[in-house]
Amino acid sequence: MPSCDHCNQPAIYHDVRIVNGVHNTTHLCVEHAYEAGVDVGPVDFASLLRPEESSSAPKSTVTACPDCGMTIAQYKKTSLLGCPACYVTFQDNLINIIAKVQDKHTQHVGRSPSQTNVDADRHIQIRRLLRKLESAVNQEQYEDAAALRDELRELHNSSEQHED
Amino acid sequence: MKIDLKRNCPFNSDNVPNGDVVLSSRARLARNLEGFPFVNRATASDCAEVASLLQKISNTKDKRSALEWVNMDELDTVTTELFVERHLISSNLSNATHPRAIAVGPELSRSVMVNEEDHIRIQSIRPGLQLHEVHADVHQLDMEVEEIISYAFDSQLGFLTACPTNVGTGARFSAMLHLPGLRIIKDLQRIHNACNDMSLAIRGFRGEGSGTIADLFQVSNQVTLGSTEEELCNLLANDFLPPVLEWERKARRVIAEKQRSKLEDQTFRSLGLLQNARLLTSEEAMKCLGNIRLGVCLNVIDNITLPQINQLMIELHPAHLRYTFGKDLPDDEVNRCRATLIRNIVDS
Ligand SMILES: [Zn+2]
Ligand SMILES: [Zn+2]
Repeated sequence: MPSCDHCNQPAIYHDVRIVNGVHNTTHLCVEHAYEAGVDVGPVDFASLLRPEESSSAPKSTVTACPDCGMTIAQYKKTSLLGCPACYVTFQDNLINIIAKVQDKHTQHVGRSPSQTNVDADRHIQIRRLLRKLESAVNQEQYEDAAALRDELRELHNSSEQHED
Repeated sequence: MKIDLKRNCPFNSDNVPNGDVVLSSRARLARNLEGFPFVNRATASDCAEVASLLQKISNTKDKRSALEWVNMDELDTVTTELFVERHLISSNLSNATHPRAIAVGPELSRSVMVNEEDHIRIQSIRPGLQLHEVHADVHQLDMEVEEIISYAFDSQLGFLTACPTNVGTGARFSAMLHLPGLRIIKDLQRIHNACNDMSLAIRGFRGEGSGTIADLFQVSNQVTLGSTEEELCNLLANDFLPPVLEWERKARRVIAEKQRSKLEDQTFRSLGLLQNARLLTSEEAMKCLGNIRLGVCLNVIDNITLPQINQLMIELHPAHLRYTFGKDLPDDEVNRCRATLIRNIVDS
């Protein structure tokens, strides 16, 4: 576990900022976090993630998110997830963390997005297909690539019709 | 973009409900786009694509309330810092180099930050206790954004955010409180206890030194999951604040009655300092304005109004001073200009 940037106490506050394209990490102990005026909250993130205390959790430290490549080890360093799919990938680890930081709540009860946007959804689908196509070509899986290309073409056609 | 500090200042308003205790109310919604990595794992081209998708937000029909789109790279340093001082953007967003933008209302109270910790941070800030109004502001922007993109959403966890502490509604409501009465009668512990009981976070407004400046405290909801936006807003606006306003007002009445000379001395001493000082640090100015604020609320003086004090508490920051007195103002001139700005108001 990292210690405080200003003293040798164990850090309870961890913060990552992207400054000029590089990640700047801050670790602070209770006292220095309070002195810095940061909102520490009721939770000790670090202790949640200490391996000896999460032994009951599945061994997912080697699992990487299929969409963004994030691993749980990387998450532990930054307390930031990499993409929406990380919530599915690291579900088992995250649910306990979420319950702790969210006062035992694990179910959303607020509003849902009212309608899905057709254009935006098509945009996302195209991005996903392009990414799959790229990896299919890289791995020389040409049959898959051809099928993906057909799918892309269909999407493009339907978007043209949509614009009429 | 052109900013007129008098016209664009939401704090220079006569409509300041419960302004004796509440300086400002703020609402913020964190959102992300489906299909893109979060900003901390996004490439520059991902960020540029997110920004270009969101740019449509500034094309609303009503031109008077339309948001103006500003790419952060095109904004000069002074205006960028001015936005940070107004809490329209975070210092995080101002220092980064990846493609990022802000869409901001002409009144400088509503904004949509693009590519901060989350792709989208919708925000509104108003003077006094107007939590339901700022909620309505951000909700309307939320609906407008939703029409042009797809949000990352999960039926169990709600709106998905880079940090699990924002997941669910992604909503953070906060109020900036002036609590000199409770500090003087040594009853601030009561506020801390109430915050603890209600899962609210409280932090003192801090300057360069340690300790709370001018008895200002910011209170906000800690939990974002398991309640609706409305419930979170009500927790602060309807459950927490009404008793707190009463405690603070009662403390002030006790002070006005039992410690009259001390109150008058503190008020006139601070006024005299601001009327005569030729160099003022922001910390000293804030402290004096805080004292005068209490004096104004208890009718000790009427040289200055609450909206004037509220506006000065914003305009005394360095970027605001540079905006008024010249963008090249050297650091050692800032304290002199601050004293001039404040003297012009408290002397008239
Ligand atoms: Zn420390
Ligand atoms: Zn991911």
